[in-house]
Amino acid sequence: MKKIVAVAGALAALAAGAAAVLWAGVYDISATDQHLAPTYKLLDVGMRRSIVRRAAAIAVPPLADERLVARGLVQFRAHCVACHGAPGVAPEPFALGMTPVPANLVHTARTWQPAELYWVVKYGLKMTGMPAWQFRMPEDDLWAVVAFLQRLPRLSPSDYRVLAAAPSHRDDESPPADAPPDADRGRVAIEQHACVTCHRIPGIVGPDSPVGPPLEGMAERAAIAGLLPNTPENLVRWLREPQQVHPASAMPDLGVDERDARDMAAYLATLR
Amino acid sequence: MKPEALCRRLVGLAAMALLAGCGAGAQAPPAFGDADNGRLLLRQFGCGHCHRIPGVATADGKAGPPLEGLSRRSYLGGRLPNSPEHAVRWIVAPQGVKPGSAMPDLGVTETHARDMVAYLYTLR
Repeated sequence: MKKIVAVAGALAALAAGAAAVLWAGVYDISATDQHLAPTYKLLDVGMRRSIVRRAAAIAVPPLADERLVARGLVQFRAHCVACHGAPGVAPEPFALGMTPVPANLVHTARTWQPAELYWVVKYGLKMTGMPAWQFRMPEDDLWAVVAFLQRLPRLSPSDYRVLAAAPSHRDDESPPADAPPDADRGRVAIEQHACVTCHRIPGIVGPDSPVGPPLEGMAERAAIAGLLPNTPENLVRWLREPQQVHPASAMPDLGVDERDARDMAAYLATLR
Repeated sequence: MKPEALCRRLVGLAAMALLAGCGAGAQAPPAFGDADNGRLLLRQFGCGHCHRIPGVATADGKAGPPLEGLSRRSYLGGRLPNSPEHAVRWIVAPQGVKPGSAMPDLGVTETHARDMVAYLYTLR
């Protein structure tokens, strides 16, 4: 019995000590202060193991298709080069100051499995600058990026320069919006459109940032943004084009597509 | 002054000095308005029919957004940068600020609006 009390007391003291260190702000959070090597290793191994576990069940489609690789190049140039660079091409200046620093994808493509690459592109990585592309790229494009990454290690800097000189175009076709509204998906869609940087939203962890009004009770609000009668259709319209509804609004157009807006509206309709 | 009284006076001053440090965040400047009167006015003008307002009896409306933490909001009516002066402008003439808004012009005078804002700005 005495032993249990002693251990419990020691643990409590440890927890209190850790809390005090945290609260005192002793830990240097800056991007210019590098991790200790063991810390870095721990985080790196933890990340890798998390991805390996989750990617294990993913079925990889055939990736050797030239059109798929070409499509992947378009996405790569549009979305990846700014942070990761390319053979012979530096990342944009802002990415050079990031911690953790965006990986060189030639090395990544040589050492990771296709399913793992797909997983990271689709779901992103917490506490890094790597976003989730799930809501911004159709499934086919996610695999196209992986297909291109498979090709990347075989490109010399001059090979890449030739490829990149060709004009590129974006495929901005929205996913079909015929599925029934999905409040659970809507909650994730809300997270992935950074709504929580301006609104406190029940059910979504965030900075409680009161730039705009809180969204609790949204289901019972009489008007949306004080201007539109609160109906599902109007809420979709507001989410998709707030600047058209209210040109002076601080709420920006975020490029929310129809399906995401309907799902977000379904989630907001649960907030009483 | 007797020593005991002086001691009590010093403790009182120290307590006030400590309390003055509490409550970080925007406050309406002192004498911007009468917060106590503002609380009554918010009830009398029926603001609670649309807004939940802490400390105002029966103010539990859900037609508009809740007003708790108003002083920390960045914008009023989605477009006015939040300040005591802009809050007064919004309350006095919402239709002028945002035509078509669900918030009606209620005939609130500037003086009454200042009292209301003084109260609302106390809401953390």
